This record gives sequence, C-alpha cells and structure tokens, in this order.
Amino acid sequence: MSDQPVPAEAAPSRNLVQFVLRLREAGVVVFLVLLGLTFGLLNDRFLSVQNLTIVASSAAILAIAACAQGVVLITRNLDVSVGSMMGLVAYLTADWTANHPGISPAEVVAIAVVLGIGLGAINGLLVAYGKVPALIGTLGTMSLYRGLTYIYAHGQEVSSSRLPHWMLESADIRIAGCPIYVIIAIIIVMAVAWFLYAYPLGRRIYAVGSNGVAAWFFGLRAERVVMFAYVLCGFLCGIAGLLYAARVGTVNVVLASGWEMSSLAAAVIGGVSVSGGSGTVIGAALGAVVLAAIDNGLVLLRVPEFWRMFIQGAAIVAAVAVDALIAEAIRRSTAGRRR
Amino acid sequence: MAAKAKRQWPFWEFTLIVAILGAGAWSSTLSPYYLSVDQLFGSTRAFIIPGLLALGLAVVVSLGEIDISLASIIAVGTVTLSKFSAAGVPLGVSAPIVVAIGALCGAFNGLLVAKWRLPSLAVTLGTMGAYRGLAFIIGSEVGYTDFDDSYLWLGSEYIFHGIVPVSLIVFALMAILVWFLMHRTVYGRRCFSIGLNTDASWFAGVDVTETKIRAYALAGALAGLAAIVWIGQYGSARGDNADGSILFVVTAVVLGGIDINGGRGTISGVVLALFLLGTIRNGMGLANIGGPTQTVVLGSLLVAGVLRPAAAAALARLSNPARLKAAGPQGVESSGQE
Repeated sequence: MSDQPVPAEAAPSRNLVQFVLRLREAGVVVFLVLLGLTFGLLNDRFLSVQNLTIVASSAAILAIAACAQGVVLITRNLDVSVGSMMGLVAYLTADWTANHPGISPAEVVAIAVVLGIGLGAINGLLVAYGKVPALIGTLGTMSLYRGLTYIYAHGQEVSSSRLPHWMLESADIRIAGCPIYVIIAIIIVMAVAWFLYAYPLGRRIYAVGSNGVAAWFFGLRAERVVMFAYVLCGFLCGIAGLLYAARVGTVNVVLASGWEMSSLAAAVIGGVSVSGGSGTVIGAALGAVVLAAIDNGLVLLRVPEFWRMFIQGAAIVAAVAVDALIAEAIRRSTAGRRR
Repeated sequence: MAAKAKRQWPFWEFTLIVAILGAGAWSSTLSPYYLSVDQLFGSTRAFIIPGLLALGLAVVVSLGEIDISLASIIAVGTVTLSKFSAAGVPLGVSAPIVVAIGALCGAFNGLLVAKWRLPSLAVTLGTMGAYRGLAFIIGSEVGYTDFDDSYLWLGSEYIFHGIVPVSLIVFALMAILVWFLMHRTVYGRRCFSIGLNTDASWFAGVDVTETKIRAYALAGALAGLAAIVWIGQYGSARGDNADGSILFVVTAVVLGGIDINGGRGTISGVVLALFLLGTIRNGMGLANIGGPTQTVVLGSLLVAGVLRPAAAAALARLSNPARLKAAGPQGVESSGQE
C-alpha cells in the first residue's frame, strides 16, 4: 500500500530524491516531456503553438472526466459508469434545451449539474451504503444509464440546428488565444485538487482510500466519504457531458461511450493508484494530456488508428508497473518506520 | 464454505433454478414455438461464447482477481484463425495453436498480476486495449468471411438429428471439466483458499503466484476456444469481435454466486446463471423487447445479484436482532483489489 498520500506533506523531507519520489505527478510530467520531444523530433509540426493548442483543447473534457474518476479512485473504488453518465446527461440536457427555446445558459448548466449529481448519488448509494463492490455496481449502472439514454432517445438524436447558437458557439470561444474549454478544465481541476488538498472532507477522501480500517478506528464515516466522492464524480461528469454536447453539436445516444476506460487510463497514467489513497487529480488531468498527445502525435505520424489502441493499452500497463515500482521504493525508504 | 452441511437453505442454485423455470414459463406464454425442442436447444447457442468466458472468469474471480481482457482475447483468436484459414492450414493444427495463443495472452495477464503484484483490474484494462489493438494489427480493419468449411463445423453444426448444437456439447464438457477442477481437485481448493486469505494460503505452502498464473492461462485458453466457436457462429473475423461482451460475462459470474472478492462460489451456480440470463434474453427477444431495454434489465440483474448478500444479511438481522452487531471496519473495504 501507499504511504503518506500527500506529496506536499513530504516537503521538509531530508533528501531531495525522496521528495521527488513522493511527488506523484513527477513521473507523468517526465513522460509527457519525453513524449513531446520524441514527437517533436519525428514531426516538426507537433511542437508548434497551433498544434499544442489542439492537443490541450482535445484533452480538456477528458481531463475533467479523469479528474472525476480520480476522486473515486482515491477512495479505493472506481466508477465505470463515467461515460454513460456523460452520455445520459448530455442527451437529456440537449433535449431539454432544444425543447425550451430561450432557456438561459445558467439554467442549462444547472440542469446538467443536477442530473450529474443525481446519477452520481445512485452510484454512491449502491457502493457506499449497499456495499456493492464498486466495479460491479457501476458496471450495472453503466449499462443502466446507457440503456436509459437509448430508451429515452427512441432512435432520435438532437441535431445541432435545434440547439441555441450560444451553446454551439461557446465551444469556440478563445480568451487571449486560449480555448475556453482549456481554461474551464484548468479551473475545475485546480479547484478539485485544492479541495482535496486543503479541506477536511478532501483529506478524509485520502484517509478512507489509504487505510480504510485505520480511518474507521479514527472515527471516520467511510460511507459518507465514499458517497460524497461518487456525488462529486457525478457532478464533474455532468459538466463534462454538457461541454461535450456543446462541442459536438449533434448529440446522439453513443456520446462518450468508452470514456469510462479513457478516464481510467488517464487517471492511472497520471499516477492515481487503483489501490486507493494516493495520486492527485492534477496527475489524472495530466494523464489526459498524455493520451491526447499520443493520439495527436500518432495521427501526425500517420500511424494507423488501431496502433493507438495497442499503445494506449501498453501505456496503462506500463503506468501501473511504474506506480508499483515507486510504491515499493517508498516502502523501502521508509521501512524502518513501518510495522 | 468450509462444509457443505453449513450452507444455508435455500441454496442460491435452487433460487436460480426457480428463476429459470419462471422465466421459461413467461417465455412460453409469449410464443407457441418457445417450448419446441429445436428452439430450446438452438437458443442455448446465444450464450455459449460468453459462457466459455464465464467459466474461465469464475476461476479467476474465485482467487479474488478479475480479468476484463477476455473478450479482446477472443478477437485475437478469431483474426489468427482467419490468417490460418487463408493460408490453408487444417483446423486440427490451427485450433490447438489458437487455444495456446489464448492461454499465452492469459498467462501474460497472470504474470503481471501474480508475479509483479499489479492490481488485476488496471492491468487487464490495459491488456484489454492492447489485445484489441493487437487483433486489429493482425487482421487489419477489414473483416474476413471466406472461411474454410472445416473451420465452421464446431460453431455451426448440430448433431443428434440436427437438434443439439456441437458447441453446446463443447460447453457442457468444459463446464464439467472446470467444475471438477474447482470442486474436486487440490488446485480448486487452493484457488478458493487464496481467494479467502492470500497470506494464510501462502503460509500454508500454497504457491500463490503459480496458482494465479495457471488460472489466468486457463481463462485465456477458454477464450481461445470461444474464438473457434465464434467463427462457426458468425462466420466472420474482425478486430472488434466480441467487443463489449464482458458485461454479460461478469454478470453471469456474479449472478452465479461467485463472490467478487474471491473465495466463495460454485461453478454450477455460474452455469445456472448463464441459463437464466440466456432464457431471459431469449424471452425478451420473443417478446420483441429491444436491445437497449435488454441492457437495462441486464444491468439491473447485475446490481440485484451483488445486492443479494447485503439484502440477505439485512433480512437475517431483522429476523434475529440478537445477532445485531455494529458495522465493523471490514465494511469499509470495497472492491478488494490487492
């Protein structure tokens, strides 16, 4: 198991190596730089500002989804209904918006967020209070939510012509040359990271995932903490689903299918341990950037699409292996203080 | 599951049988053709491929691990078979090779999980993508349908006056084999003991690493066999074969009463759960209930299957308040991935 979950707590550490080892994001940052240099050498267009903007922009929504997945992973659970939640929220919200012309942006966001929280709460009830193993419970709701989307849609889709202009144009807004989606993603990820780092409830999320038994003896109500993590996950998925809907314009029933795996991959690559208690949502978001960079770079290099699947899968296995190595190194370096 | 005598009546298997009969009765009201022998045997074909995966997954889950890459291994198997068929290799040669390739893919999962102690969910999530990618790399994006007739036999032929599918016989043999392995051999006892308590098993001299790798290899080999059945049933091989079928497989294993945290369960339960799911699917097909609704029903069943122990415990507490105890720290443990 992982040791102290918080990288920053290791700040007064006696030696620098230990400090860097404890910084869970260090690995993914190094990997990202190496990846950028490799692609940059192979194709001179990769490192252009224009292309990097494209990478950041395509990573933005996945970064939010990975952040949502990360929060749940830190509690030693997982959520494979992320993609289905995004899809259901996106469809219902888009459909509602299309049927109510003149609806204000704030109302649309409110609908998406409330729906997301509701769906997340169902997952939370199942896993935290129903004691259903996280994989099974959310595998069930994954098909449940996706099935509901199909049933509600009834073979239809919400075409972009029925959506208000402001919604479709919002995806293209740039502030000082930076796409607004990137800014939104950075704000959200930073806010969640700060919340997990500085607030008691955030610390409890780490505590429950790091050592559930100790947390119980300490008097933490694990059920509430896990419940909250799932609600936060649903909330973030609601936002991500809405952003996705606004970007693609035409919302259909398969929107964001497969994103549960991409978000999991991003979080794992970003150093969030599936064994709970360690990693940060900033790492998870960086993992999303890694996936987007791999996708983009391989397209620029004209590598066939199916190689991406192989490389992405291999990257997950490599990330998990590196994660285990780091955990082992930490365990050894602090062996004297452990039982 | 120390002694059989300790098991509480009604057995879960008994409940499953009642549910199967109920679903069958419901189906027979939907169509006059439901109760024909042809139909009953023919409909079993729908769950033979996921059934083979479920048998292997049951062994892996009994260890407290999971393997979600099995459907991708099917795809590796089918595209490999298409290459062999195109090269004119007889099935007698290519079938063992494909089963061996499946076992190798599985063993690789097992190596990562058992030897390097990596979390099985994350590892098989990675290999799920990697094997799927591998299948596309081997077979390219174009499907292959020009199979030699001998390749189709196992999955498409019927025997006994054209009533019983050959693949059903294969499935039955495999089910008996895995049942024997899990409930009548030392290996099976070791699997359950590792699932209950890995450390204690290790101290008792069980080679945990080897046991786990063998379980994964077995699951992979069964996926390879399922690939051969796939070719016969669908007559086509492509990289996206069996994509997304793992949900059905996990549902069958969990509904069959295998504890997702390992250590408990029976193979007969898994087989019965497969029959139940197959009957429900078949019935919904007859009732003209669409795919999406079927998915919703499947998801609900999965959740109901896992809520069952919690519900049973709650019932027991209600009927016997003396045994009421405060929720212990083990209540915090959730997915048991370690």
